[in-house]
Amino acid sequence: MHALSAHLKRSKGDFSLDIEVDFIQGITGIFGPSGAGKTTLMHLLVGLEKPDEGFLKIEETTMVDTFKNIYEPARNRKVGYVFQEGRLFPHMNVRKNLLFAAKYIPNGKQVIEFTELVNLLELNNLLEKRPKQLSGGEKQRVAIGRALLSSPKLLLMDEPFSSLDVKLRRQIIPYLIKINRKFNIPMLVVSHDLPDLLSLTRELFLLKNGRVLGHGNYLDLIEQENMLDVMRGAGLMNVIQFKVEAHDKKNGLTILSNKDASEEIRIEREMVLDCCQIGDEMNVSLRPEDIALTLEEIPNISIRNQLPGTIVKVIQKENRNYCLVDVGFKLLISITHASLLKMELSEGKKVWCLFKSMALQTNT
Amino acid sequence: MEHWFVFSETEMSAIGLSFKVALWCAVLVLPIAVLMGWWLARKTFRGKSLIEGFINLPLVLPPVATGFILLLLLGTKGLIGHWLNELLGIRIAFTYYAAVIASMIVSFPLAVRAIRLSIEMVDPGFEEAAKTLGASTFQSFVRVTLPLALPGIISGFVLSFARSLGEFGATIIFAGNISGETQTIPLALFNQIQMPGMESSAFRLLLVAVLFSFLAMAFSEYLVKKLHKRN
Repeated sequence: MHALSAHLKRSKGDFSLDIEVDFIQGITGIFGPSGAGKTTLMHLLVGLEKPDEGFLKIEETTMVDTFKNIYEPARNRKVGYVFQEGRLFPHMNVRKNLLFAAKYIPNGKQVIEFTELVNLLELNNLLEKRPKQLSGGEKQRVAIGRALLSSPKLLLMDEPFSSLDVKLRRQIIPYLIKINRKFNIPMLVVSHDLPDLLSLTRELFLLKNGRVLGHGNYLDLIEQENMLDVMRGAGLMNVIQFKVEAHDKKNGLTILSNKDASEEIRIEREMVLDCCQIGDEMNVSLRPEDIALTLEEIPNISIRNQLPGTIVKVIQKENRNYCLVDVGFKLLISITHASLLKMELSEGKKVWCLFKSMALQTNT
Repeated sequence: MEHWFVFSETEMSAIGLSFKVALWCAVLVLPIAVLMGWWLARKTFRGKSLIEGFINLPLVLPPVATGFILLLLLGTKGLIGHWLNELLGIRIAFTYYAAVIASMIVSFPLAVRAIRLSIEMVDPGFEEAAKTLGASTFQSFVRVTLPLALPGIISGFVLSFARSLGEFGATIIFAGNISGETQTIPLALFNQIQMPGMESSAFRLLLVAVLFSFLAMAFSEYLVKKLHKRN
């Protein structure tokens, strides 16, 4: 069953939007540069703008169908929407903001329980505060909580990171992942920041000039040449899910393992105390520029992570070159044209991917 | 020598009537002004400026002219008034109700202006947020817009109350100057000033008028300040 399926058209002056989207479960990202039509799309989905033409189904309910003259207003759509600026009601405290939607949900139809949500988003100490007394990250959490307490069938988030500084972004991501897992609510997250988006999901829709350029797994998208152009400017990033295996306190390292791959892959990361416990799942991001390629393993070197793999694809684009290497999972690596020629890199070639423990960034 | 600070029966009745007319006027104007203020603040439509001009007319029209228009419309021989009189036996002109209606008409633009401005100051984004949370247009207005615009709504109420206290021109034409029925403070004051030997009576009414107006304004200021603190 689709959580959402839609084909919507809308023109505003010079801008025209013609977008088909559908997705099933989990977290889906919508990525595109500013002016791509991301916010317009959100408004059409949530019911704040009317399409000129098209349809929208949420689960199996038709919310919009211009051919059958169906148009459900925002309040009937059961779509939770987290606005970019939060839009918390300034005359209500946090508790009242959170409970705003409660009046509109029939008894017993409440999907998410208040106390459970307050605990999950750690809002206990904020309940009696007014929105203006909250920090940016706290506001964001309250806005997310308020949307969730309307018992939505899906949750839309417009640029959830843009109003937060880097440190707070890292803090909000785990909450979003927890929400998705715990309440099993499909989420559509819009962002123009690729690394942030990738730390949430690898399922992406790529938008440009009001059209969908492609959708699917991030690494599959990269393999399609025209997608790379859209994504490159936004900061390409490898994001891999790992499990914390052990802490090597003597050497100050955390051992991570990836079990999605056919055989277990172990990497090491500089140990950050209290960052995580053994058994935790975490997303690790790694910039393509921070990975080096060699043709053989190098024993006497300070780089601790050396993974063997096969080049799946070489992508050459103007003055940038990328290799996609399968080491059990796929890694995107940025290299110079000179190295590409000198090492005679081509698809099918066996290589070693080298990256320092310190180059690994964790989000969760 | 009469007693300076003893109110005569006429004065007492004028004071009581003024208060009653002003209160009814403000209470009745408020819901219409809130509706109109919201409509003008949030909607764009053809002929909007025409409607705005029409609402604001009593603001610039001499009150006497407004009173005359009311008389032409609602007088016993007026356009609407003669129907009311013949069919239902209702007579409005030169009654207590005429005083209230005259006050309402002249204070309506003031109330609408204050309320409209305060609604315009409320980010429509909050209403959108309320709607995505399941509220209807009306519910989002009541739960979000109205409380956020409350200072403006209160000042709209007080303005129409105060304007009604000062209303003279339209009232004297449409409601007449009938002691105990339509003779409010300004009308009573007008009478006393014209009569020789009534200076002390005029002075007492003057004091009351000043006091009433001052209290109304102070009360509104107090409420608005309190609300600002809360938000």
